[in-house]
Amino acid sequence: MKKLELTKEAKPENLPLFLGFVDLICGNAGVEASQCGDVKLAVEEACSNIITHGYAGRTRGDIHLSGHREEDRLVVVISDQGAPFGPDDAPPPDLTADWRERQIGGLGWHLIRKVVDDVSYDKAGDVNQLTLTIRVKEV
Amino acid sequence: MFISLDQHDGVAVVTLDGNLDAVTAPRLDDLLKEQVGQGQKRFVLDFAKVGYISSAGLRVILATLKDARQRDGDVCLAAVQANVRKVFEMSGLTSILTLCEDADEAVKTLRE
Repeated sequence: MKKLELTKEAKPENLPLFLGFVDLICGNAGVEASQCGDVKLAVEEACSNIITHGYAGRTRGDIHLSGHREEDRLVVVISDQGAPFGPDDAPPPDLTADWRERQIGGLGWHLIRKVVDDVSYDKAGDVNQLTLTIRVKEV
Repeated sequence: MFISLDQHDGVAVVTLDGNLDAVTAPRLDDLLKEQVGQGQKRFVLDFAKVGYISSAGLRVILATLKDARQRDGDVCLAAVQANVRKVFEMSGLTSILTLCEDADEAVKTLRE
């Protein structure tokens, strides 16, 4: 199945483009709508982190998004050249604290881990590469 | 996302229509902060027409919840759809949020 790829500047205004592209990736890979919502959530959280933290203090940078199906899995790869930050760097949020103690924020990586089957991070030169693998539900 | 605000018996009813994501959440945040700044402490967020939420939306809800409860008010979420409820559950927020069947019930809950 064909790999779909998109590169756009990492800025909040482009998030709808990235999320719209996830619709294309899911359609191409035969992923049904509610599972596609999970993929969008993971991609939004990852791209938001890159925009907010990865490229913080830089004038511009790009995000490269690709997606393809491998047997029963959807593989989505998100690449950037911002500051390195992988899933292991994010502390797990406390999900049991009462409302007074509950932290506002820190849920992005948690949600990524919850909605994908595997998440891995690699750095090659100055390129960060986050790979999300999702087992495609049969309709 | 379309966001509208009505006042019902001292309760701010905010109706949302669309996706509550990193692009749209700041608009909701601005509206709710403005209301909090004007002394409002009781909020209904009508989620009947929201099919997607990300952590950006969760942050706005949690921040408003804290603002409201610190002033003896509260936030009720009405008519939350399954996809969105799943994200609340994954985030551990269902244990601290007040969820209601619909906006009318949420307004009643906040007036009691």
